[in-house]
Amino acid sequence: MRPTLRLMIVSLLAAVLSPAWAMSVTFINPGRASETFWNTSAHAAEAAARALGVDFELIYLERQHLAALDVVRELAARSAERRPDYVMLVNEAGVAPEALRILDEAGLRTLLVYNGIQGAQERALVGTPRDTHRHWLGSIEPRAEEAGYLTAKALIDKGREAGAFGPDGKLHLLAIAGDRSTPSSIRRSEGMHKAVDEAGEAVLDQEVFGAFSREKATEQSAWLFQRFPHARLVWAASDQMAFGAMASWEARGGRPGRDAWFSGINTSGEATKALREGRLTALSGGHFILGAWAVVMLYDHHHGIDFADSEGLELSASVFPLFSVRDADTFERRYGSGHFGTIDFRRFSKALNPELKRYDFSFRQLLDGAEAR
Amino acid sequence: MSETPAHSIAARLARRILLYATACALLIGGVQTLHLWQEVKQRFARSIEAVGLTHVPLLSVAVWDIEPDAIRRQLNQLASQHAIGHVRLVTDVGRVFEAGDPDALDYAEARRFDVPNPTRQGERIGTLEIVADTRAFYRELATTVGVGLLGYGVLTLLMCGMILVALRRELGPLRHIAEFVKTLSPERLTTPLTVDRGPRHQRDEIDLVVEGFQILQRGIDGHIRDLDHQVAARTRDLEGALASIRALSTTDTLTGCFNRRLFDERIADEVERADRYARPLAIVFADADHFKRINDTWGHNAGDEVLRAFSASLKAQVRDHIDWVVRYGGEEFVVVLPETTLDQARALAERIRVAVESEPLTINDKPIHLTASFGVAQYSPGEALADWIDRADKWLYLAKEQGRNRVCG
Repeated sequence: MRPTLRLMIVSLLAAVLSPAWAMSVTFINPGRASETFWNTSAHAAEAAARALGVDFELIYLERQHLAALDVVRELAARSAERRPDYVMLVNEAGVAPEALRILDEAGLRTLLVYNGIQGAQERALVGTPRDTHRHWLGSIEPRAEEAGYLTAKALIDKGREAGAFGPDGKLHLLAIAGDRSTPSSIRRSEGMHKAVDEAGEAVLDQEVFGAFSREKATEQSAWLFQRFPHARLVWAASDQMAFGAMASWEARGGRPGRDAWFSGINTSGEATKALREGRLTALSGGHFILGAWAVVMLYDHHHGIDFADSEGLELSASVFPLFSVRDADTFERRYGSGHFGTIDFRRFSKALNPELKRYDFSFRQLLDGAEAR
Repeated sequence: MSETPAHSIAARLARRILLYATACALLIGGVQTLHLWQEVKQRFARSIEAVGLTHVPLLSVAVWDIEPDAIRRQLNQLASQHAIGHVRLVTDVGRVFEAGDPDALDYAEARRFDVPNPTRQGERIGTLEIVADTRAFYRELATTVGVGLLGYGVLTLLMCGMILVALRRELGPLRHIAEFVKTLSPERLTTPLTVDRGPRHQRDEIDLVVEGFQILQRGIDGHIRDLDHQVAARTRDLEGALASIRALSTTDTLTGCFNRRLFDERIADEVERADRYARPLAIVFADADHFKRINDTWGHNAGDEVLRAFSASLKAQVRDHIDWVVRYGGEEFVVVLPETTLDQARALAERIRVAVESEPLTINDKPIHLTASFGVAQYSPGEALADWIDRADKWLYLAKEQGRNRVCG
C-alpha cells in the first residue's frame, strides 16, 4: 500500500528555463509540513538551493517512515531527465539500508542527513559510504550531545546562581528525555548526563522518557514533582516537553524561571519567546539548518569539491549554540517568519569561495554575523 | 381382573432409570459442584497470584518511568485476563489507574501487591489491587458442571433409549403371550401357544414361560380327558346303582315279583286307564294252600323255596310287559291283568292252578304237593279301588272255604 503522500515540489527555476548544467536535489523529509522543526528545515534547505541555483524537490513523508522506500522506488523508476542529481534522505526507523540499496542500484547519489547510519546492524548492511553502495556519498548529523550538554550546564549554572539547592545541599535535576532508541535523543541525554557529572553539586533525581510529547511530559513532570519535592531544575530534550513540565509546575502554583528552572531544545517561536520572558532558562537549537548545509555540500560536490577530501565521509556537525536572550531576539527577528532568504548561502560554498578550507556548520554564525541584507 | 391399563415394562424401566439417573446426577452434580467450587476458587486465587507477580515488575518499571500509557496498557491487559475482574493501581503520587469492571469489587475481595521501586530496594512506589472476576468464576464453574451433567444426561438418555429398544424387542413375545392367554376359552384351551422369536442360542425366562405354559396346557388337556373317562364310568355306575335301587324299592327280593308298594302306586294308574279307555281290568288273588303248615313242617327255607316256585308258576302263565305279578303279603300274590275280562281272568287262574298242582316240587329231596286257591274280580267302572280288591280277596277267601285248590270269582 502506498501511503498518502503529500508531495510538494518546489521548483526554484522552472524546468523549461533551467540551464542545462543546473543540478537538482530531492529532499525526502520524514516529518509533516505542519511540524515546526521539519518545516523550518525544509524552508532553510529550500533557501540554500535557491541561493545556489539548485533545482529543489521536497517530499514530506508525513511521519510514515517506511513510505521512504516507496518514494525512493519512485525516484529510481523515473526517466533519466526527471531524476534528481542528489537525494537527501533522513534515516528514520531504519529505512536507510534498503533505501540506499535501491538508490544505489538506480545510480542516484545520496547523502544521509540529520540521522546517519545507526547501530552495528545497519552498519553491517551498508558498510561505509562509497564502498558497497558506490553512490552513497556519506552522511551529516548534528552533534546532538552538544545541545544536551549546553542546556543542562546552563540550567545547573542558573540553579547554582539562584540557590536552588535541596536540604542535602544538592541541586536536584529532573530530566525528561525523548525516547530510548533514537540516537539524537540518546545523545542529547548523554550530553545532559555529562553536564550533571561535571557539576559536582548537581544530582539527577530521575530521567523519564516523554516521547517528545508535551502532554506526556506534563503528566510525567507532575509525578516527578510529587516524587521529588526538592527538585527545582528540569531538563527537557525538546522545547515542547519543557513547556509540558512548565505547565504542570504552574499547575502546582509554581512560577517557571522564579522558583523552578527549565531548559529545552529547538528554536520554535514559542521557545524563543519563553526564553525572552525568562520562563525558559536555557535553550539550544538551530540544527534544522543542517539540511541547508547539506545542499551547500552537494552543490560543491557537484562542482568537483568533495567534502570527503577535507571533512570525511560521515560528519558529525557541531551546530547547536546555546541561545541567549539576545540570540532569541535575533532569531525571531531574522528567521521568525520561517524564511531564510536573508541568508547568503553562497558564502558557505567552497566552490564559490576557494579560500574556504573547512565548513563551519555552527548556527552561531547565523546569529552573530551582520545581517546579509 | 384389574382395570388398570397395561403399561410396557420397558417404558417403566426406562422411566425408573431416568428417575434414578436424575437423582444420581443431582447428587453427583452437587458433590462435584462443591468440589469444583473449591478447586476453581483456588485456581482463580493462584491465577491472580501468578498474574500479579508477573506483572508487578513490569508495572514497577512503568510506574517508576512514569509511562501512563504503558501502565494503562498493562492494566487493560491484566483486566482482560480470564480470571480477573478489576484491577486498580494507586501510585506513590496518588495517581489512580483502573481497568476492568468496577462492579467486580462488590463481589470479591482485592488481592494487593506492592509495586516496588525498580531502582531502590525496599521502597514502594505503588499498590496493585486485583479483584477476581466473580462472573467468570461462576461461568467457569457452571460450564464445568454443566458439561459434566450434560454428558451424563446424554449418556443416561442413550442408555434408556437402548434399554427401551432392547426390552421392547425382548419383551414383545410377552405381550403376544398375554394376548394369547386373554383370548383363551374352554374350547381353545388346548390350542398350542407358539412364539416365534427367531433362531436363538440360549433360552431365557420368556422361553421358560412359554415352555411352562405348554406343559400346563398338556397337563390340563390330559386332566380333562381323564375327567371325561371318570365321569362316564361314574355315570354308568350311578345308573346301575339307581336301577338296582329302583328295582329294590319295587321288587320283592325273595320272589322277584313287584312288592306291595309298587302295587299301590301302579294299580291306580291301571284303574284310571281302564276308566278313561273303558277297557276291562281284572285281578287275581292267589294264595298257596297250607303254606303255614309247610313252613312249620319244613322250615322257613323250604317256605321261601315254595314261595319262589309258586311265584315262578304265576309269572310263567302271564303275558310279559302287560300283566304283572305282585307279592301282596306272606304267601298271598296278586296278578293284575289289564285288557282282561272276568272270564279270561278266571281261565288264566285255572291254568295257573292246574300248573301249580301238576308241577312236582322237591324240597330237601322230598317231594311236596302244592296247591293254590284263587279269587278273581273284574273291575267295575266307577267302583272304588278298595271295594274291587276287597271283592277279589273275598273270592279267595271263599275258595279257601270251599276246600282250597280252586278258583272262585
